[in-house]
Formats: sequence, C-alpha cells, structure tokens
Amino acid sequence: MKFIVSSSVLLKQLSAINGVVATNPIVPILENFLFKVDSDREGGPILTATASDLQTTMITNIAVESSESGSIAIPARLLLDTLRGLPEQPITFHVDTETFGTQILTDNGRYKLSGENPIDFPKIPSVNRSLAVELSSDSLLSAINNTVFATSTDDLRPAMTGVYLQLTSANATFVATDGHRLIRYRRLDINSPSDSTMIVPRKALTLLKASLPEGVPVKAEFSQSNASFTFGNTQMICRLIDERFPDYENAIPVNNPNVMTIGRTDILNSLKRIMIYANRTTHQIRLSLESNSLTISAEDLDYSNEAKEKLLCDYDGDNMEIGFNAKFLTEMLGNLSCKMLSFELSAPNRAGLIIPADKEENEEILMLVMPVMLNTYA
Amino acid sequence: MDGSETVRKIIHIDMDAFYASVEQRDNPDLRGKPVAVGGSRQRGVVAAASYEARQFGVRSAMSSQLALRKCPDLIFVKPRFDTYKAVSLQIRGIFAQYTDLIEPLSLDEAYLDVTSNFKNLPSATRIAEEIRAAVREQTGLTASAGVSYNKFLAKLASDYRKPDGLYVIKPSQGPAFVEKLEVGQFHGIGRVTAEKMNRMGIFTGLDLRGQSEEDLRRHFGKAGSFYYHIARAVDNRPVTPDRIRKSIGSENTFDHDLTEPAELAEALQPLIESVWRIGGRYQVIGRTVTLKVKYADFEQITRSRTAFSPVTQAEVFERISHDLLTALLPVPKGVRLLGVTLSNLEPIDESPGHQLVLPF
Repeated sequence: MKFIVSSSVLLKQLSAINGVVATNPIVPILENFLFKVDSDREGGPILTATASDLQTTMITNIAVESSESGSIAIPARLLLDTLRGLPEQPITFHVDTETFGTQILTDNGRYKLSGENPIDFPKIPSVNRSLAVELSSDSLLSAINNTVFATSTDDLRPAMTGVYLQLTSANATFVATDGHRLIRYRRLDINSPSDSTMIVPRKALTLLKASLPEGVPVKAEFSQSNASFTFGNTQMICRLIDERFPDYENAIPVNNPNVMTIGRTDILNSLKRIMIYANRTTHQIRLSLESNSLTISAEDLDYSNEAKEKLLCDYDGDNMEIGFNAKFLTEMLGNLSCKMLSFELSAPNRAGLIIPADKEENEEILMLVMPVMLNTYA
Repeated sequence: MDGSETVRKIIHIDMDAFYASVEQRDNPDLRGKPVAVGGSRQRGVVAAASYEARQFGVRSAMSSQLALRKCPDLIFVKPRFDTYKAVSLQIRGIFAQYTDLIEPLSLDEAYLDVTSNFKNLPSATRIAEEIRAAVREQTGLTASAGVSYNKFLAKLASDYRKPDGLYVIKPSQGPAFVEKLEVGQFHGIGRVTAEKMNRMGIFTGLDLRGQSEEDLRRHFGKAGSFYYHIARAVDNRPVTPDRIRKSIGSENTFDHDLTEPAELAEALQPLIESVWRIGGRYQVIGRTVTLKVKYADFEQITRSRTAFSPVTQAEVFERISHDLLTALLPVPKGVRLLGVTLSNLEPIDESPGHQLVLPF
C-alpha cells in the first residue's frame, strides 16, 4: 500500500488526536495510530487515522493521494517526532502489508518504521440508536472550561470523575463536583429533542477541549453507553460513566440571606496575595463580612505569617466570618469572566454560592463551595 | 477462665484522695489537716476529702453542711481543675511507658492492660510497683494499685489496700475473693440494687452466685448477666483506650429551691449553654436530650427526648430542653437541682481547618 500526504496536514491532524494515546497503555497496540486508506471513496482517497485508549477513541480524516486501499498500525510517538522535524512537503508512505514494515520517503530522506498488524487494533464502538444534538464548539468549549476543573479525581466516586450532562428541550445543564465544590453551568442555546442525562468522563472532555477549534458546528450523539462528538474532520467517541450522579440539586442551599456583591478581579487578586500567607496544606483564608466591607485574612501559625486586606463591597446581611480554601476560590473565580459577582451565604458551616452578577448571553452559572471550619465554635 | 485464652494482666491505678492530696502537696499549711475540696456554701458539695477528713466520716459527694457537722475543723479549698488535669497528664505519661492499652476512667483512675507491655516485664505486680514509685517520685502523690486478670477484680484489688497500697488477686483467688464480698461493695451494684438484692436474700458474692442467670436477668435486666458473671469473678470487658464519651451533662444545685416557671427557665439556660459548649470542645453532637429534676425532698425524675437526627443547632437543643421543662410545669414541689444531658453522641467533623464536604 502506498499513499502521499502533506506532512504539515498530517502532523496537524494527528496532533489533534494524539492526546488519547496513553504512554503506557494496557495493550501495546494502543501505542499506535491505526491508519486506514480508502482509495475508492467518492470525493477522493482518504486516510482515516484512529487513536484509542479503550475508553476514548479519536478519529480524523485526511485527504491523501492513493490508488490502493489498506490498513496499518503505526507507532504514534515515532511518527509524530518524525513529522515535527520535517519541513512542509508531500511525503510518501510505503507499507508492506505482509510484514507491516513502513517506509516514509521525503525530498531527501528515507525513514523505516516497523508497524503492527491493524487487525489487533481494538474495534471502535459505534454510537447506535442515538440522540443527536447540534451545538457550536464555542458553547461546548465554554461548558467544558467552566466545569471540568471541578470534577473529582477520586476513583472511589466514579460518578464524580465526569461531568453530568442534563439535556432538555429548553437547555443543557453541565454539573461537576468533587464533593467540596460544585459547578452548575447551564446553556440556553443547547437543546435536545428529548430529555436525557449522562456522565461524560473528564478525560474525554479534556481531550475535546484541546482539539476543539473555535466557531465550528459540533454534532453530539449519545447512546446508552457512548457519546460521540463530531467536528470538522474529527470525531471523538467515549464511553459514558455508568453511575448515578449525586442528587446535587438538594445540596444547593436555597435560603442564603447574606449577600455580598464585589468586583471579580478585586477579590480574586486580593485572594491571590493573601493566599501566600495561608497554611500551605489547607490554604485556609478567612472572609469577615460587615456592612459594605470585606476583610480577607490568612495566617499560618506554624511560621507566624499573617496577612489581611480590607476591600469595599456591597454587603447586605449579618456580620459574619467564614473560612474557605483559597485554592478553590481562586480557581473558581479565575474561571469566570464576569465583572461583578455575588457571594450568597447563610452560615459559616453551610455552602457558599458564587453567582456572576452580569450574565453572559445564553448561560447561567452557579458555583457552590463548602467552607473550611474556622477555629471558633458558634 | 477459658483455658485456651491467655490470662490477661490488668492493673487498676487509683490516686489516693486525689484532689485533696494535690492541695495538701501544694499548700504545706493543709498537710495533716482535714481538707475538703469543694464549695463551703450553704448547698455546696464535697468533691474530694483528705484522709484526715475521712476519719471524721467526710466523704465525697456529701453536702458541705453535713461534712462540717461531722468535722467542724474541716478546711474547704476551691478546686483547681487545671492543676489536677496537669497532674493527670503527668501520670498518664508514666502509664504510657508500659502500654498503650490505657483506659482512663477519670483524672485520677485508669485501667491498664499490661498482658504484653513495652518493657516486656513478665510481672504485672512489678509494673504496678514501678508505676507507683514513679508517680510518687514525679508528682509527690501516692497511688494505690490493684492487679488481677480482669477489670472488675483489678478495681476491687486497688480498693483493698488503700491508701498507698498494692494488692494482687490471682486467678486462683478470684472466685473466693468475690464470695466474701457484700453485694454493696461490688462496683456496678449501687445502693438501690444492693437493697433490692438484700430483699431477695442476696447479701454476699456467694449468695449472688447461687442465682441463675435467668433469674438475675428477670430482676435486673441486661445488668443481670453482668452480675451473674462477676459473681464468678468473670469479666471479659476489654481495656479500651480513648473511651468515647457517651454523654455530656451539666447540672446545678440551687441556693434555694425554685418553683417559679420563669426562675426555672432562667436556671436551665446556663446548663444548656454549658453542655453545648462542651459539645463544641469535644466536637460531638447528640440525638437525645435529657432533663433531670431533683425536688426539694430529693425525689429525682428524668425526662428525655430523642431527635430523629443529631441536633446540630444550638437553638434546637435549647428548644428541646425548655420543652422538657415546660412539660413538667407547674412543679409540684420546690426544685433543688436541674440537669441537662446530651447523649447518643456522634462526632462532628467540623474541627478547625476541616474542609466540609457536600452532603452526598
């Protein structure tokens, strides 16, 4: 089998799917890309490259010149390293389908790689009898960016290692939680012909985030056990997490009489400065709220470091003190893009809500964070 | 004892007249004199009495007035719990050199299981002597020790040669030792139970051993089985370090008997607050609230309520306590004492620096 392809196009497309390739996969064949050339296709010959880690599979299509169809599994790392070093040019692949030996011919060189039998490459799951949803890559990217950081890495709670997706005819809700904080991100511009819920694994979403271009349409399809996202020449298929997501709605406190409104960058920058003085393991900081002033403080008793800042804010509620992990707060606030936001609080041992005060079109964000107990007992 | 199990070696250490001895140690003027730790006020109670005071019949938990009548020269000293606590820690440090199976019963009393011990000493008696010597040397106070093969006997033994004594009850002597005891001397058999046993014709350990387990259970409930076993000098309760607190209580005897509902409610409030504060210190919450009322004629009643889930809010705890009191109003006679107890405890993981988690 022989085909000719642009080195830079190949590099670009393979880079988009390379994230799936694990460094130490369960089966060694998964260190390879599966190349499949279809020379008889209407619209011209095409190379389909596939990478998989069994949970997630990414497929990309690249136009090539070829008169022979065939398949080969080719070492991903070796091939990408080669392509990265090449100047843009057409390159020719010669594949011996008996021995799986592969040669790449360039303007002034020849590279020999030993491929593997394509038969050994795992079968790609198909997403049958699926629910299809059209959305823009911008909405999807925004949903991923706003949620995926708050997923759990605790394998003992598998449901929380993914983002919960709730599709209805009116909107799509993305929920992520690690047990300490929770993000509910709602898109009003994504809607589904029928109601459905699923948990999409964090890795799949992280990969999507890395390869999804801005401003392109995305076709999402969901079956009982798999999800597929197709954009441009690329498709990602992932296995869904077959677990029950926690009853998150009941964890969101309803009655939060103490409301502080403050500039996002003001509080974020202050937190970043104060945090330096907090205990390095707990990152505990203290918010002291009084009428229209917020005092952020931290101390590390081990080193007798302490810091305190007073900020102006709009505060309506009882004077109160509440502790939080500053790492959580800065991460959450850093993910928002609003100018002003509100903290809605009830008690020092109850969840705090963070809600953007100026809303972006088509989105609703609610962030929840559990406090850290301060050393005062009420 | 079951022959297949190794015989345990349990030591019970009991400081002699602990609070009073600490006071006499720290204030030479008190030495050799009858001393009572506690309030001398009209309705105060003796918390601890020195051996000199005990000779006059002064006992702990006796009303201060009665104590004064028995011993007109009795010197009352205000308790200094911080000091007692510090000494108690010092003593526990000594125990910890031998075993980590230490079960403190109070500041001045503890069980130690030295069956296997850090110093690999084969003799529990030797360990007990070493501990008593170290306590004397490091604190200037005396302790009594009992050595035996279970907790029940070890405690009896420490009482046997008090003060400043050591007594060993060997496995072969256990049943005979129990036989001679009057039931009232058994730890775990109180005055009321002892009287009930006497009415049944049970006066000594031997009499108690004559009863069937069924009969004892019928008359004394679950405790009946315990009595059945201790009459045979059998007690398999392990020495459990870090005994978990089972309840938190606070009570107060008033200067004069209370009858007015408003007075009673007012008197209840500090008890509620104190219990809640202690709960905070121990990081526990409870489900059961018990109100104890002692009337002027010493009749005592308790009323309790168990919530469906642990009481996490001070206001709820307060409300339940007051509801229990309101149900007893109007009081038929003057109230001498009120007490509030929180039980069915469980830990709250809301210690400082603790990151709270979402409830799922």
